[in-house]
Amino acid sequence: MNNLEQCLKCNLCTLVCPMMEVNPDYPGPKKAGPDGERYRLKDPAFFDYALKYCLNCKRCEVACPSDVHIGDMIQSARIKYGSQAKVKGLRGLRDWALASTDLVGSLSSPVAPVVNEVLQFKPVKSVMHGMLGVDKHRTFPKYSRQKFVSWFRKQDQSGFDKFVTYFHGCYVNYNYPKQGQDLVKIMNAAGYGVHLLDKEKCCGVALMSNGFAAKAKKQGELNLKSIRKAVGEGEPVLTTSSTCTFTMRDEYPDVLGLENADVRDNLMLATKWLYEKLSSGEIKLKFRKDFKMKVVYHTACHMQKMGWQYYSIELLRMIPGVTLTVLDQNCCGISGTFGFKKENYEYSQKIGAKLFTDIKTSNPEYVATDCETCKWQIEMSTGIPVLNPIEILAAAIEA
Amino acid sequence: MKFDVIIIGGGWAGCTEAEKLVKTGAKVCVVSEGLSLASVRYESPYARHAALQKAGVTVLRGDRAERGIIEDGKVTGVITRNLGEREPLTAEKYILATGKFFSRGLLSDKEHIWEPVFGADVDYNPDRTKWYDPDINAPQPFMKFRVKTDAEGHVLVAGKAIVNLSAVGDICNE
Repeated sequence: MNNLEQCLKCNLCTLVCPMMEVNPDYPGPKKAGPDGERYRLKDPAFFDYALKYCLNCKRCEVACPSDVHIGDMIQSARIKYGSQAKVKGLRGLRDWALASTDLVGSLSSPVAPVVNEVLQFKPVKSVMHGMLGVDKHRTFPKYSRQKFVSWFRKQDQSGFDKFVTYFHGCYVNYNYPKQGQDLVKIMNAAGYGVHLLDKEKCCGVALMSNGFAAKAKKQGELNLKSIRKAVGEGEPVLTTSSTCTFTMRDEYPDVLGLENADVRDNLMLATKWLYEKLSSGEIKLKFRKDFKMKVVYHTACHMQKMGWQYYSIELLRMIPGVTLTVLDQNCCGISGTFGFKKENYEYSQKIGAKLFTDIKTSNPEYVATDCETCKWQIEMSTGIPVLNPIEILAAAIEA
Repeated sequence: MKFDVIIIGGGWAGCTEAEKLVKTGAKVCVVSEGLSLASVRYESPYARHAALQKAGVTVLRGDRAERGIIEDGKVTGVITRNLGEREPLTAEKYILATGKFFSRGLLSDKEHIWEPVFGADVDYNPDRTKWYDPDINAPQPFMKFRVKTDAEGHVLVAGKAIVNLSAVGDICNE
């Protein structure tokens, strides 16, 4: 959606851009978005490579009083004009590997213990830092030996008459099956069986931000086909990652041009679905009496853009024994694969500094957030463990 | 989602109203409608939203009221963009604090000026040639156009006062 003529040049987007605060090389959302677009329409040579610094956090769009699709414009420009800027050589290999979550995940899972050890090994980290440009400070999320789908196939879900479909995403499948297992536990306790999509691919967010939009589009088409089938059978499609959800709901139509209006309302975060059903009394959960947890909630950028933090926060408040503090909405700085790259590490940490201080001052037992890359960033930068609200709910109920 | 009061617009007027109301113990929700340019002249962005949130107000940052539902002279709910048709916001009282043209509290084309959320009556000169003063330094007449309210401050829709809808701030020239 290219509504650049709606921009009144007020610069509120520039004021809230987290990258703008730490990086003078980034032109900022107004210049990179609607201003730059006018020039790019005249001549693609005006494309500015500094647009690579955009985190795609969409804070500009949240702030814009005129509803300009600033972030979409920047993303689209990177896709349309930035292909010649695709990094070549070893850095290109790195970007490709970071973006190919499905492939790398499938290859790593069977040999997970080895991969996990190797990726932690200091000399390997230095080589990756020096040659590939993967920052040595970063800890890769550990791969799981058993994929979530392999575990799920062994679960009997036949005893239910109502079902939801679960889009697990790459992180749950290859790295952290527990989160998916927790969702199945909650749904079963609420009287719902769980189905998976016929075919599920990575939502494509990492492909889009690393210059592989055509592949992202293909995967998007495949996902939408499976989602359509599930929704057609009367099942909502639930997720446990805010970014996967946001990508499939909003980036598919706005950036990749994939029409999804027919299924969009039935594609949502599990926390939203659970909040609606629990608050209307349609489902009931039995909570443990001895559960106690001190939690702070961090609103991920895409969660803020969707405006759904309300559901996760209220869901956490429904759990007896949870002491909840809601943090100010600041960006953690990692932005998916962005923060893994050596050249971006410093920006990432500077952007996240405010949030890290807030978390450390509150000194909670756990941080709750709906985004897995925020989780890696916060765990690495504060040392405090991070849970998805679904994991907290699963721990608090009697199964 | 049920509240005592829903304030549409998280700018200076809306936040001031929310501060007053939350002190009385009311359950308040602010639909922020983007960031307010007027507010950031006085404070860093979102500082007031964060303070309100700490005080117990639900601030829906970046969400927008798309449509108000009016039944029998009363507002019964507001549909927002992010929460969608399935989940209207409901409250006892509603306050319109969406400002004027810049913040899209009032919209216009070449013949009309209208208020987009409730379709409230707008007090303006139908003769478009009278909207502007050719002297650009003079006060511009269009800046005085406002949403119509009755003596008690209730907003008028199609000439009738909506008993649980009031307006504050720029949209009613306050």
